[in-house]
Amino acid sequence: MIQRTENSQFDKFQALTIGTERLLHRSWRQPLQVRTSTELLLDRNDPVLTMSSTIFSSRSAVYAKKALHKHPKPAVKAADKSAAADKNVELKGGQKRVVPANKASRFYPAEDVPQPKKSRKAAKAASVRSSITPGTVLILLAGRFRGKRVVCVKNLESGLLLVSGPYKINGVPLRRVNQAYVIATSTKVDLSAAQIDEKFNDAYFTKKTVSNKKGSEEEFFEGEQKKKVYPETKANDQKNVDKALLEAVSKVPHLRQYLASTFSLKKGQFPHQLKF
Amino acid sequence: MSAARLNEYQVVGRKLPSEQEPVPKLFRMRLFAPNDVVAKSRFWYFLKKLRKVKKAAGEIVSVNQIFEKRPEQIKNYGIWLRYDSRSGTHNMYKEYREMTRCEAVVSCYQDMAARHRARFRSVQIIRVAEVSDADVRRPYIKQLLTPKLAFPLPHRVIRAQKGNRALFSAKRPSTYY
Amino acid sequence: MLHQGSFQRQVEVGRLVLINYGKDSGKLAVIVDIVDHSRALIDGPTTGVSRQAFAYRRLTLTPFVIKDLPRAAGKTALAKALEKNDTIGAWNKTSWAQKLSGRVARAGLSDFDRFKLKKFKSQVKTIDMRKKERRAAVGPALAQLKKQQA
Repeated sequence: MIQRTENSQFDKFQALTIGTERLLHRSWRQPLQVRTSTELLLDRNDPVLTMSSTIFSSRSAVYAKKALHKHPKPAVKAADKSAAADKNVELKGGQKRVVPANKASRFYPAEDVPQPKKSRKAAKAASVRSSITPGTVLILLAGRFRGKRVVCVKNLESGLLLVSGPYKINGVPLRRVNQAYVIATSTKVDLSAAQIDEKFNDAYFTKKTVSNKKGSEEEFFEGEQKKKVYPETKANDQKNVDKALLEAVSKVPHLRQYLASTFSLKKGQFPHQLKF
Repeated sequence: MSAARLNEYQVVGRKLPSEQEPVPKLFRMRLFAPNDVVAKSRFWYFLKKLRKVKKAAGEIVSVNQIFEKRPEQIKNYGIWLRYDSRSGTHNMYKEYREMTRCEAVVSCYQDMAARHRARFRSVQIIRVAEVSDADVRRPYIKQLLTPKLAFPLPHRVIRAQKGNRALFSAKRPSTYY
Repeated sequence: MLHQGSFQRQVEVGRLVLINYGKDSGKLAVIVDIVDHSRALIDGPTTGVSRQAFAYRRLTLTPFVIKDLPRAAGKTALAKALEKNDTIGAWNKTSWAQKLSGRVARAGLSDFDRFKLKKFKSQVKTIDMRKKERRAAVGPALAQLKKQQA
C-alpha cells in the first residue's frame, strides 16, 4: 500500500495516481509517472524559440497585439508648398539651370514600402424595414429591456431606431436600438401631432469622454465616493418626449396597458406563425 | 396542379429529298413524351420500326403539342398497347377514367409497371381513344358508370390540417366517417 | 341514395366537401362528378376553387349534399344550385364551420388584439366569479324567503 514519506507534496501525488489507477482497466494498470509542476514542457530560453524566424508574426497580428487601433495614427505632415519656389540660376556660359527649393533626398528605400490599399467602398445610407415607421409599437428582443413593448420615435441616420417606452408607462427611457433586435407590430401610435426635437440624433446619445484620471492620486482618494447623477437636462428631455407620446397613447383605449405589459411566447405559440 | 408527366405531340417527318425521290412521303405521328426533344426521338424510334427511314437520312418537318379539348370533363379512355413481358410480346386493351388523354397514358404506364413490372421501354402505346359509356368493356370502369353512383369511404382517419395537428395524441383516432 | 349501413356521409354528386390539403386548404367545394374510387371532380365557383380532380384523401366529406345536382353540372348551374339551397350558409351555421372560422380569426389577430382578448377573457372570468360568489352568499337566504312566502 501507500508508504508514508516525509514529503507531503509527493504523498498527495501518489494518492492521486492511485485514485486514477482504480478507474483504469486492469491491463492498463501501470505505475503512472508523476510530473512536478515546475517541469516545463519547453524551455523559454531555448535558442530555437528565441530566433525571430520561429516566432514570426504578421503585420496584422502585430497590429492587433499592440492594439494599435486604440492609438491615433501619426498624422503625416503635408509638404509646405508655399515655401517651395524654384530658383532660376544663370550659369557663366550663358546656360540656365533650375535649382529646386526642396532637394530630392539622395536616399530612397531599397525595398518597396507597402502602400495601404485604398478602399473604394462607400458606406450605404442605412435603411429601416418598411414595417417600422415613427409611431410603430415595437417589441424589444434583447438587452435589459427585452420583452418590453415600446414606441418607435424616429429613425436615426445611423440606421438605429430612437425608442421610448414611454418611460412613465414601462420604464424604458429614450434609447437607441438596432432594428435587428426588434419585432415590428402592426399597431401604430399616431405621432403626427407630436413634436419631436431635432436634437435627438446619434450625437445626443454618444458618451462624453471623461478625462482619464486612472491611477492618479485623486482617483484613489475620491473616485469611489463620487456617484454619477443623471443629468437634469436628459430627465427633462425624457419628460418632454413622453408628454407628446402619452397624449397620443391615451387616445387609443387599452393602448397604455398594452405598452405596460411585456411580450412572451406562450405554450404552443411559434413566432414564425404569429402575426404581430 | 403540377405539369403533366407526359404531353401529347404531333410530329411530322420525312426522308431527305434526293434525286430518285424529290418529294418524299410525309409521316405524321401522335405520340406521348415529356417534351418535344423526346417526342422527336420517339418519332424516329417508331418510324425506324415501321418504315425504312432513319434519322441520319431524314428530317423533322414539324412538332406541335396537342392539347386536350375538354380538360375539365371526365372521359373513359381505351388504350391499345403492345408490351414485352419477360417471356414474349403481348397486345393489350385497357380502359381508364381520366380527364385527359395524357393522364390516361400516364396512369396506363403506372398500371403496367404495377401489374406487370413493365418498364417504359417495354410498353408501346398503339392507340388511345375516347370510349362512350355504352362501349365500355371492362367491369372496373363499368361500375363507375352507374347512374346516381354513391359510396361511403369506410375506415378513414379525419386528420386536422397540418398546422393544427398535435404531434402526439393520447387518443386513438376514430375511423368512423 | 340510401345510406349504406351506418355510414352517414357518402361520396356522391352534389356532396359538399372541405379541402384539407394544398393551396385551397380550408376551402369548400362540391363533388361534380366521380372519377374513380380515389378521386372526384370538384368545383367551387363561389368559394374560389377551380374545377379539378381531387383525391378523397385530401378532402373531408361534410354532411351537406346539393340534392338533384345533375352529374357533371357546369359552373353556372352549380353556382345557382349552391345559392338556391343556401348550402354554404347552412355550413357556416355548423359548429364545425364556426370552429374553423374562429381558428382563422385567431390566427389573424395582431399582437395588440391578442392582448385585448386576454384582458377581455380575464374580465369575463372575474364577472362570472363574482356572480357565483354572490349566489353562494345570497342563494340560501333567498330560498328561505321564497319558502316563507309560499
